[in-house]
Amino acid sequence: MTMTFERDVAATLQMEAAHRQRRFAKGLGWGGLTVAVLWFTADQIGMNPLALIKGADHMWDFLTRMFPPDLSYIFFLGRATVETVQIAVWGTLLAVVFSIPLSLLAARNTTPLVMLPWFTETWQRLSLHLLVFHLTRLLLNMLRGINELIFALIFVSAVGLGPFAGVLAIALHATGMLAKFCGEEIEGVDQGQIEAVQATGASKMQVILFAVIPQVIPAFISYSIFRFDVSIRSATVLGLVGAGGLGFSLIKTMKLFRYYETATCILVIFLLVAGADWICSKWRAKVI
Amino acid sequence: MADPVQAAEEDVFALLVERKKWRLHHIVYLAAGIGFLAWCADGTNLRLTELASGIPKIAKYFALMVPPKWSFAEIVWKPAIETVYIAVWGNVLASLIGLPLGVLAARNINRLASVRFVAKSTLNLLRSISELIWAIFFVAAVGLGPFPGAVALGMNYAGILGRLYAEAMENIDPGPVEALQATGAGRIQVILFAIFPQVLPQFVTYMLYWFEVGVRSATVLGMVGAGGIGFELVTTIKLFEFRETAVILLVIFGMVTIIDYASTLIRSRIY
Amino acid sequence: MNQEPPETTTPGQERNPTMVSVKDVSKTYAGAGATEALRNVSIEVREGEFLVILGPSGAGKSTLMRCINRLVEPTSGSIIVDGREVTSRRRELRAVRRQVGMVFQQFNLVKRLSVLMNVLSGRLAYHTLWRSLIYSFNKEDKRIAIECLARVNMEHKTFQRADTLSGGEQQRVAIARALAQQPKVILADEPVASLDPKIARQVLTYLKQIAGELGITVLCNLHQVEYAREYAERVVGLSRGAVVFDGPSGKLTDDILQQIYYRDSEAGDDDDV
Repeated sequence: MTMTFERDVAATLQMEAAHRQRRFAKGLGWGGLTVAVLWFTADQIGMNPLALIKGADHMWDFLTRMFPPDLSYIFFLGRATVETVQIAVWGTLLAVVFSIPLSLLAARNTTPLVMLPWFTETWQRLSLHLLVFHLTRLLLNMLRGINELIFALIFVSAVGLGPFAGVLAIALHATGMLAKFCGEEIEGVDQGQIEAVQATGASKMQVILFAVIPQVIPAFISYSIFRFDVSIRSATVLGLVGAGGLGFSLIKTMKLFRYYETATCILVIFLLVAGADWICSKWRAKVI
Repeated sequence: MADPVQAAEEDVFALLVERKKWRLHHIVYLAAGIGFLAWCADGTNLRLTELASGIPKIAKYFALMVPPKWSFAEIVWKPAIETVYIAVWGNVLASLIGLPLGVLAARNINRLASVRFVAKSTLNLLRSISELIWAIFFVAAVGLGPFPGAVALGMNYAGILGRLYAEAMENIDPGPVEALQATGAGRIQVILFAIFPQVLPQFVTYMLYWFEVGVRSATVLGMVGAGGIGFELVTTIKLFEFRETAVILLVIFGMVTIIDYASTLIRSRIY
Repeated sequence: MNQEPPETTTPGQERNPTMVSVKDVSKTYAGAGATEALRNVSIEVREGEFLVILGPSGAGKSTLMRCINRLVEPTSGSIIVDGREVTSRRRELRAVRRQVGMVFQQFNLVKRLSVLMNVLSGRLAYHTLWRSLIYSFNKEDKRIAIECLARVNMEHKTFQRADTLSGGEQQRVAIARALAQQPKVILADEPVASLDPKIARQVLTYLKQIAGELGITVLCNLHQVEYAREYAERVVGLSRGAVVFDGPSGKLTDDILQQIYYRDSEAGDDDDV
């Protein structure tokens, strides 16, 4: 028995050596590729750590001009802070409202088979179903892919400066995110519960209402709260393009070179975001 | 000797009464909620009149974008790719900074509450300052270009990723950690052999996800001079070059979609 | 307290040195209704013994075992392993833990790592930090690891991921990991509680055999009486944190078992130990 034992051990050791060589080669390959990609990319964007070090005194200059922050400026920021929160509230709310129908359309199992009178053939209905589904997904991807700030820019250009443009910008982007997320949740529901309700003879709409929607509500609410958190963060910068909120105060103080006040703006933004974060996590914990 | 039916009726009645009391409570909340929403709407100029006049204006705006000026794409594809590069290095820097901070902030790795507090606060500070604001800061430091944009993105995302990493590390199975401690391994060895292998798949998921988000964020960094396609975009909007704007939007959309698709593919491969 | 002086000596006791010495160890968990998990437990284990600590869940077996390698800090008392006192000073503790391998009920392997890597992680205590940073092990380590795997007949699965193995296989790998430390003592905390009887017996046989061949002292926590009878030379019965029996397994009468297992239900009889 000892002989086979020794032999087994030796054999496995050899296999290990082969394994290790293979893994090393593989690692080298992938590692080399990663390094190459990173090097190329760094070169393209002009990564230059030295520039950072050289720029250090510019940064220091900036920072010293901001300290100590002019805390009395907080009183001037009250309105802007409130506006920021208001923008986030309605932006998220509109997104929630729009997402409810859109997420149903964006899920393969709930896209309605359109019952228009002139589409009587099953193949016509099916292709319309697919068309609606894909169009919705396309729309949502467009809303998701474009940054809120870009929407804000466009809306400011279209309807003028002010928080109204900001609300719409946040609403559109958040709708894209929320509806896509919920669409995926809806597609992933437990089939068993659906079959149970179907077996009672319910219509498609009733199946959706009683078997599908109850299953996705917790996730929907949780993600909506998360979107609100994100919206607050986005709303703080919308002012940079004139769409209201703290961002506007920030850029205003910077353009006037009143850096002590800029620091206060940053501080207030930090507190607002931290506060919203805390509230949202408590809220989500309650919902789950 | 109680009549069972009567007893049951009394129970149901009691329940209804309970419900009614409950409902009053809720009505108060509902009213407060509606009041709050109305106040918010007022503050943001969200009135039906505004909507009524605003929507057609927006529709007209979008109408002017059709048909997109395709020839413009030749000019913008380079800045568009630059946007992706910014996102790549932004995330690399974010991981390089976020990972050690996340390790220091994790409860099960770091016993010293003071160090954890400092790490967590740093991460929170990095997170809360939008990448645009960071970008303004770094552009002032090193000049215009995509480099300050990447660093700015890295700073903000370091906060985000660092916190996610810390949470992932706190949620691992403590069993293997205990086992390795029992063998006499040192603290760092335990982290390397019991904690990292468990959180690796989550790390990768986070990095892929935030790379996607990063590309979208990087599209606007150009507005403050930090590289990418943002600068062209702002210029075309300000000059009312609608058809060119449309092209840029489509290019951004195409880019984001491709990356989305690619990352889904990668994710399915890893699992 | 019902500690009988052992009348027949078990094989381990013929050799001289005491490997593990637990002296008057107590552990009280603070908090509402402070629970006394261990009460003045004293045990002497000789080198090479296979000792089973028997008792119902909550008796303190796990606490006792974890006090020995200081995963839990005893409130009072002292523990000496291989002549070294077990303290919480880091260097010394690491040296002690190196000599003490532990096998857990939940196996506690790192699921995503290969079997080999799991066993190799038992060698970490012998390494400096720098080598571990690059996850590298030298040839000697690998030879030891594979030998340990071969001893539990798991070398054919060396390169598989740990989570592809069955429960019994994972436990054998865990034993290999403990063996890779080249320890003087192995602590097995309910090693077979999650396994079905046939596999459990396999694992216990491996444990007993290998420990015997290599002269390792084994302390094994069990709550199943039949395993204790089958595998133990000496049994320590633990009930509600106190030792109620210490002797050869042959002397485990039903009365004594009653004491160990049903002490809790004795009306109003709070402890006299």
